[in-house]
Amino acid sequence: MFNLSRFRKKSPWILHYNAGSCNGCDIEILACLSPRYDLERFGVINTGNPKQSDIFLVTGPVTMRSRERIVELYMQIPEPKVVVAVGSCACTGGVFRGMYNVEDGIDRYIPVDVYIPGCASSPELIMDGVVKGLEILESKTKEIEKPKQLYKDEVVTDGIVDRSHMAQKVKK
Amino acid sequence: MAVKFLLILLVPLLGGLVYGLERVVRARMQNRVGPPLLQPFYDMFKLLDKQPIMINSYHIVFAIMHFITLWVVVAMIILGDNLLYIIFLHLLSSIFLVLAGYSVNSVYSHMGSNRELLTIVAYEPILILISVSFYMMHGSFSIDTIYEHHTTLPSMALLFVALLLIIPIKLKKSPFDATEAHQEIVGGVEIEFSGVFFEILYMAKGIENIFVYALVILFAGDSYLLAMVLCIGVFLLINLVDNATARVKVGDLVKIVLSLGLLLSLVNLIGLRYV
Amino acid sequence: MTAYIVFATLFLPLLLAPTLLYTTKNARDYLSYFYIFIIISLSLLFFSSQLFSSIETIQLNFYHIFHTIFILIDFALLLYFLMQGWKKSDKRVALLAIVQLIFYTVLLQSTPLQNSSDILIDRVSLFMILVVNVIGGIIIIYALKYIESEAFERRKRNLFIVILFVFLSVMNLIVTTNNLEVFFLAFELTTLCSYLLIRYRGDATSNTNALVALWMNQIGGVAILIALLLSLHSYDTLYLDILLRSVDANYLLPVALLVLAAFVKGASIPFDKWLLGAMVAPTPVSAILHSATMVKIAPYLILKIAPSFSPALSMLVMLFGSFVFMSASLLALSKDYFKEILGLSTIALLAFMMAIASIGTKEAIDIALILIVFHAISKALLFLQAGILEKEFQLKYLKDISYLAKRSKLVVFFILIGFASLALPPFGAFIGKFSSIELIASMIDENILYLFSLIFILMGSVFLTLLYFKVVTKLLPSDSIISQGQQKIATTYQLTSWSLVLLLVFGVFVSAYYGYMSMTQIVLPTTLVLVTLLLFYLSNFSTAQRSKEYNCGERDSVELGAYYFDISSKYKSLIFYSSIGLILMILIVGV
Repeated sequence: MFNLSRFRKKSPWILHYNAGSCNGCDIEILACLSPRYDLERFGVINTGNPKQSDIFLVTGPVTMRSRERIVELYMQIPEPKVVVAVGSCACTGGVFRGMYNVEDGIDRYIPVDVYIPGCASSPELIMDGVVKGLEILESKTKEIEKPKQLYKDEVVTDGIVDRSHMAQKVKK
Repeated sequence: MAVKFLLILLVPLLGGLVYGLERVVRARMQNRVGPPLLQPFYDMFKLLDKQPIMINSYHIVFAIMHFITLWVVVAMIILGDNLLYIIFLHLLSSIFLVLAGYSVNSVYSHMGSNRELLTIVAYEPILILISVSFYMMHGSFSIDTIYEHHTTLPSMALLFVALLLIIPIKLKKSPFDATEAHQEIVGGVEIEFSGVFFEILYMAKGIENIFVYALVILFAGDSYLLAMVLCIGVFLLINLVDNATARVKVGDLVKIVLSLGLLLSLVNLIGLRYV
Repeated sequence: MTAYIVFATLFLPLLLAPTLLYTTKNARDYLSYFYIFIIISLSLLFFSSQLFSSIETIQLNFYHIFHTIFILIDFALLLYFLMQGWKKSDKRVALLAIVQLIFYTVLLQSTPLQNSSDILIDRVSLFMILVVNVIGGIIIIYALKYIESEAFERRKRNLFIVILFVFLSVMNLIVTTNNLEVFFLAFELTTLCSYLLIRYRGDATSNTNALVALWMNQIGGVAILIALLLSLHSYDTLYLDILLRSVDANYLLPVALLVLAAFVKGASIPFDKWLLGAMVAPTPVSAILHSATMVKIAPYLILKIAPSFSPALSMLVMLFGSFVFMSASLLALSKDYFKEILGLSTIALLAFMMAIASIGTKEAIDIALILIVFHAISKALLFLQAGILEKEFQLKYLKDISYLAKRSKLVVFFILIGFASLALPPFGAFIGKFSSIELIASMIDENILYLFSLIFILMGSVFLTLLYFKVVTKLLPSDSIISQGQQKIATTYQLTSWSLVLLLVFGVFVSAYYGYMSMTQIVLPTTLVLVTLLLFYLSNFSTAQRSKEYNCGERDSVELGAYYFDISSKYKSLIFYSSIGLILMILIVGV
């Protein structure tokens, strides 16, 4: 078969997840889809479903509640996938760095490909970041990408890979 | 005859083109630029390139059968068969989709299937009444006979309005898109499909487009010009209504469509009998 | 020669049955298999020989001694009903039994002048004999295993099987007789069998429900007796074919009363309580009496008397049938007890068959026959699965079933095939529905009221589709773990279910041969269904990875319930009173 990977950048589908943010970056992401900035001309659709998305847009510092969900959603996205951390909270923790209630940035839990700074980011920055993510997407393979914490390995029975129990809950 | 077979083979392609055109037209209505025309095919190639993920083999098999049955339905319309039978075969394909939704232990999937069953309650009687009225006009259920006669649009105008009422349900557009309410139930039945399996449902939606426009063309009889005018008119109207309206709850959907649709069809059929 | 075969078919089960009363379990089982083999082969032989012979109908007469025996049995029966009514202090049963006794004695006083043959076997009776014997036989085989898991003593279990065999004989009698007195006897004998079998388990609900079934069916018996008296008075005959020939369009009251008896037996809407109450009986009873054979007397009767309907009567019966079709499907959407769902769908489809049968043309008769045969097979299959659920999994209510596919894929397959065969192409009940819509469409030009019954039928069929497939919520879901721990179903259960599925498949090809649909129209959906099954077995999709379902990232377990739709009691009483109104109109039109 001819190389299909050049079509990956022609239709990137986004999963947008709010991991405890103040909604500022979320509003900016939604503004990207509005007529003025119009991400849809690149073929971008905001699906709400991890199984049908390529790009995982995460905003917000990771709160105690959302760390398991981030890993679970990350495992449900089929490879090749790209994680884009939007806003300074998602990159490094932002103004909340070092607080008791948040983890510092999402790259403690899942590997991040593109960091977009700003508080809140602007739509132009977000689009630049997404386009950069698309270039990285084109070179990714279909191996299972594992998160950094709260996971265990996939189970293989009779040659069938089962990744349904890879994400773990936090042990109390 | 060879043209018909070629047309049958090209049906998914046509469906993709119609869907792409739809996205461009909707975007232009919203003062945006919109994706390129061939976007559905880019989507298809991208989806083929993803790692396949599934839950169990039941929902995949039912989705494949839904797609194949829908293709067979459109093939039978092109070859010219019994219209009533085609509508029941289309019911079979919808039931395959419903069963695919029920095969997964996911709340959204089951809600999507329940809503799909309810919308079948809403639109199936009206479709059958439309084919019965074609029978009353031409004396036969066969599609070939319908294409040989002049257009029946003037005497079946109310039934055409009833058909317009159910087209948003079949194409899953506002205000009757409760089945696949993206913001509510995250796609309903499509939720557990990914990669090449989602591509199958994507193409099935394209073929559904072709099915609906084939039904619209039936009202045009043997006039190609009227068929094109009807298709383009319905296309623009549907997309305009989709952009302009909000979603109706599924209980209200059944009540509105059944009461209005049955009333219109009844009046039209009584008119056909006595006038 | 034909006479011997006919009498053998009629009375063989009756004569063979008492030998099973005092046997051990193994002897009873092997003897029953042997008897059923004989009965089924005999009826198949008879059917195929008649189908290809040139004789249109077989007409025979009973010996005079038979008539005397029948009269004695009838009196004993009615006295038994009276005694039951008196013992259980149920006034309605006793009153109706007294009324029946009075009418019957009046009937016996007079001798009618016009006589005809006692037994008349035409095409309709042939099909009914086939359905009764073959499907009844399969269900009795199922009952042999089922009755072992009930808490009865040995003689009571044997008696159950004996009553089922006797019932087969009675059914054979009722679908072949032309003499209305014998018809009345057989009608009341089926009521007796129904009464005895419903209260077989002996608890309080069974007894009450059996009494309700008794008095409602007695209303049908009273209607038949009044029809007989009127036919004696006006047309001087007790034979059905002479009655149908000599009836004129201005005085159809005997025919209208027979229609009322058919409505009672088929449990149409004012009379549906007895059928729903009868679901507490052991499942083979529900399968054989209340879905596959006994309630089929209703469309059978309408098929026989339809050629004599006036247009007004035919229209009214059609409207009533389609109205009940829609209402029963609507009422079933709120039920939770699996057998009640099946029972209400039986009521709906029986009303539909009666509506089609009342049209009276040759195509209508063919369509009604197709519907009768295929509905019997499908409903028998579904009730067998209900019994398996009851015995192997201890599940009666829909809300208790969850993830059946994890425990037994086979039962889920049977239930799905059973439901699909009632609603979807290519199976038989769909062919009946499709042809009937074509037929009604061609008749709208004659009478605009056919349009309203068409709308009722469309709404009913779509409600039935919703009903059947919303049950699948509880059956199909399974997770990504490849199936382990499937429960093994007993061999007898599997054997009977598979034989019914094979009958369904065979029926698909037979209906193609009959020519109601073109070859492509049959072959195409059959191929689609076969491809589905093939895909299930062949592929395991091992290159795909398995994942968890989407639940917004939560990892909690999800328990799913089914949807129920309940209509308000205002509409329920509307349905009830409308159907009573329609029945009264039917009787008035008869006069």
